[in-house]
Amino acid sequence: MIIFLKAGGELRTKLNPDVDYYTRRVETERGQTLRDILTGIGINPAFVAFAYKDDKVVRLDHVPVDGDVITLQPPVSGG
Amino acid sequence: MLSDEEKQRYSRQMLIPGWDQERLKQATVLIVGLGGLGCASTLYLAAAGIGRLRLCDGDTVGRSDLNRQTLYSESSIGLFKVDEAGRRIARLNPSIVVEKFKVFVDSQNAGKLAEGCQVIVDGLDNLESRFVLNKESFRQRIPFVYGAVHGWLGYAGVFYAPQTACLACLMHPDIVSRDRVPVAGITPGLIGLIQASEVIKWILGRDTSLLGRLLIYDGTDLSFEIISVGKNPACPVCARA
Repeated sequence: MIIFLKAGGELRTKLNPDVDYYTRRVETERGQTLRDILTGIGINPAFVAFAYKDDKVVRLDHVPVDGDVITLQPPVSGG
Repeated sequence: MLSDEEKQRYSRQMLIPGWDQERLKQATVLIVGLGGLGCASTLYLAAAGIGRLRLCDGDTVGRSDLNRQTLYSESSIGLFKVDEAGRRIARLNPSIVVEKFKVFVDSQNAGKLAEGCQVIVDGLDNLESRFVLNKESFRQRIPFVYGAVHGWLGYAGVFYAPQTACLACLMHPDIVSRDRVPVAGITPGLIGLIQASEVIKWILGRDTSLLGRLLIYDGTDLSFEIISVGKNPACPVCARA
C-alpha cells in the first residue's frame, strides 16, 4: 500500500521529499505501525516530536491505511 | 476598582465587548523563562494590565539574545533578565506588580512558583523544564500556555489537564532536541504574542482557541495549522486522572 509522509522544519531534510517540497511517497506493508515505517525509511522515531492525520494527533503505534497522509513534526525546544 | 488613570490607559481595549479590565487587574500570571517568547508575552501582558506578573529566569542577558529578546538593550548585557524586565515593565506600566525570581525552574521549586497563579506561561528554552512545568500545571490545575520555537517554526497551545490533554500527551520526554537551537527573532515574537492573547482570553473567561489544540506556525511558507491534541491513555502525567 502507499502512504504519504509530510514533514515540517528540519525533519524535511531527513524525510527526503519526492512528491513536493514537503511530501514523500512511501510504499509499505499493511499492519505496520508508523514507528516501523519511519524506522524502515531511516528516520529515527526519536527525531519525531509528534505526528498527525486529518488535524488530529496520532501516536507512533498508529497503523496507517492505504492513502493516508501523515505529517511529522520535529522537536522544537527553543524559547 | 480601576482608577481614572487606568480607565484612560485601557480605554481602547475596554471597548471590546465582554472585556473585563478588573479581572485582568486581579490576575496573577507566572511567566517562566524571559527569552524570546517570555519577552514578547511579558511586554504585552504588562501593557494589557495583568495586575501581577511573576517572572522567573536565572539567566543574565547576553549579546546573542538581542536579536529576539526585546525587553533588553545593549546596556542590559550581563544583568539579570528578571531585573531588566522588571525595569522595563515599570517604565511601561508602573501599576503592575512584578515578582522576580532569579532561579531556573525545577521539580523542587515549580510548586511554589506556580502557587496562586491563574495561568502559567511557557517561555522556556528546553523540553526538560517544560515537562516539569507541565506536571505542576496538572498537579495544581492551572492552565499551561505552551510555546516553543526553532528557526522559522513555532508551536503554541493551551493545556489544562485533566480537562484536556497535557504536553506529555502530545510528546514523550525521550525525543531528541538540541541545546542551542537556531531562532529567527520574529518567530518567538509571534508565538509569544499568541501566548499572551490566549492568557488574556483565559482570564476574561472567553473561549481560548488553542485549548487542547496546537498551533503550528511555519514562517518559511507562512502557514498556520491548528490540530487537536487528544488525551493519551498512556500519558505518564495525566492518564490516571
